Amino acid sequence: MNFPIRRGYYKMAFLRANTSCLSAFGDSLEMIDPLVKDEEMMAATAQGDEYAFEILVRRHQASVLNLVYRFIGNRSQAKDLAQEVFTRVWQAAKSYEPKAKFSTWIYRITVNLCLNELKSAGRKKLTFHFSNVEGAETGVEALSDESPSAEERLLAEERSRQISDALQSLPENQRMALILKKYDDLSYQEIAQILGCSVSAVESLLVRAKKNLYEKLISREK
Amino acid sequence: MGDRMKCQDVQKKLSPFQDGELKPKDQDQVAKHLQGCQACQEEFAKLERVWQALEGLPEIHPDPDFYGQVIKKINESYERRPLPGLKGVFHLFSPLTVCTLLIAGVLIGTFLGNFLAGSGLFQFRPTLTENSPKAVEVVSFRAFDPVPPGTLGDGYIRMVSNTEIQHK
Repeated sequence: MNFPIRRGYYKMAFLRANTSCLSAFGDSLEMIDPLVKDEEMMAATAQGDEYAFEILVRRHQASVLNLVYRFIGNRSQAKDLAQEVFTRVWQAAKSYEPKAKFSTWIYRITVNLCLNELKSAGRKKLTFHFSNVEGAETGVEALSDESPSAEERLLAEERSRQISDALQSLPENQRMALILKKYDDLSYQEIAQILGCSVSAVESLLVRAKKNLYEKLISREK
Repeated sequence: MGDRMKCQDVQKKLSPFQDGELKPKDQDQVAKHLQGCQACQEEFAKLERVWQALEGLPEIHPDPDFYGQVIKKINESYERRPLPGLKGVFHLFSPLTVCTLLIAGVLIGTFLGNFLAGSGLFQFRPTLTENSPKAVEVVSFRAFDPVPPGTLGDGYIRMVSNTEIQHK
């Protein structure tokens, strides 16, 4: 892309082209028909349509953010990296070819950025910080709908910390395969495309990841 | 795969079975085997335990202004970046390249200048034009003379020469 984003400048172009996907409630991002495919949005983004790009970001921001968070294990770093992912999407929009699903493509960008980040950080071990101000707000709330007592909260925090530590101690490719399977429910075929390996390699990675994680969890309980 | 699967074979397939990645026929056979085999059930329970443990990891939510922050980052990246057309030019003229070209230019210029000045070519003499009453001397290549015309050195030599003539 040869131009920076000018907010609102391209908005009307997308609206004019996709009036059928807007609800009668008006110009609201949430009202865009979810059936409008990511690939179509990406084609509009390649034309510099900021509105289409905004929809793409809003659709995928949570999944990208959580993928990075679970892999890197650091909330503020995850935010930065997730934003960087979408920056790359904007910059690469013109060269994007819809050979694979958009989600596979964006996950591939995410995985590469995460691996580069770990390399540049000298493979420094990063851990979850659920008890800090930023992490505490969602760390335990996600575990239960009912409001837990202080003791239950502490126990849940401790349990989460143990699990995340065990996850972080897995080799990078095993960890990423496990996260993509468990939290994004991707098929082996999709994971293979994202990681750039064969389907049988993904199967093997997951067998080892589950075995390693089980042993680590058991050893932490002892 | 026959109906009577060996435990070793089944246990190799437990992970893809859990992920629903086996062919439907194999998926059914592993399920049947698990119903009647306690050892394989125990192995499968380990995998289920790992899966359940991972449920305990929290999910985070993007900031409400996540998109705004992305836009800011994109615009910052363009501010830092040279114009696309100039990108190649900047790569070509890295500091080292500029220094090398500068030194090479000075050396070649000096050599050529001395060579041309010494060869007698391009000896521009004062010329008079009809429109200009004054003499115009083109000194481009004579600038490489030991004492280029029009310089202080040239003036001094002329002055000394005149003085010697007067003395004689």
